[in-house]
Amino acid sequence: MSNQVTTQTERAQRFEEQALPYLDGLYGAAMRMTRNPSDAEDLVQETFVKAFAAFDSFEQGTNLKAWLFRILTNTYINSYRKKQRQPHQSSVDELTDYQLHEAESHTSRGLRSAEVEALDLLADDDIVRAMSELPDEFRIAVYLADVEGFPYKEIAEIMETPVGTVMSRLHRGRKMLREHLTQYAIDHGYMPASAASGGEDA
Amino acid sequence: MSCGNPHEVECTTVLEMVYLYIDDELDEIRRVEVVTHLKECYPCAGVFQVETTIKARVQVCCSGQAPQQLRAAIAEQLRQSMSGER
Repeated sequence: MSNQVTTQTERAQRFEEQALPYLDGLYGAAMRMTRNPSDAEDLVQETFVKAFAAFDSFEQGTNLKAWLFRILTNTYINSYRKKQRQPHQSSVDELTDYQLHEAESHTSRGLRSAEVEALDLLADDDIVRAMSELPDEFRIAVYLADVEGFPYKEIAEIMETPVGTVMSRLHRGRKMLREHLTQYAIDHGYMPASAASGGEDA
Repeated sequence: MSCGNPHEVECTTVLEMVYLYIDDELDEIRRVEVVTHLKECYPCAGVFQVETTIKARVQVCCSGQAPQQLRAAIAEQLRQSMSGER
């Protein structure tokens, strides 16, 4: 069946039909990666060019969405990040990974619900800002899990890293995210500093 | 560490699974264990609620909508390759 010669037009049509539905998601990811709309647009456009060029090597019937996000992530890490002259961050994973399993403990009754209420009060921009403060690898992992709903196995494929590393990135990224959000909530006066979790009953 | 009440699965074990739970990565047996625990353990339920809330906020606030001009530019690129002009 694949012996048939596919014309360039058919190929482009097929690509458009299949890939274009992921444009919003890819742009959202690109925005989180580059943190600015003009770079995000360039990054997405470059991703589509690369994906179209490599579309023949994409195995029909496998996961196109993950494949596209993988090209996006690769393109970002290999070119955009360098352009943005950010400090190299891929070493974040190598830092001591096992205080990671320092067990989460509960705080006393009532404080968590104060935290949830405060989180609900935060503006959308606060959430975006807190995300933007995370190191690249953490931010990308959290985006792929929370916004795109990719399973860990697919995030591992997209980020070209073992599943264990994905879990550690998510764990640490979310912990940092929560710390930032809690701090914003305190700064805005949505919750008292004494209600911040993670300290008092350790 | 425990909330002081007896549970079939300890609080520490349940709290370690919070991300696996919110990401829907637990097998059914583990998932049921967690759900059962959360029903009887208010403090653990609070921790899960905080993480669920953050995940939901990120999902809504960080999703993107591609600008129309970008959509048009990509469509145009494809159209050019269709007509072989490129």
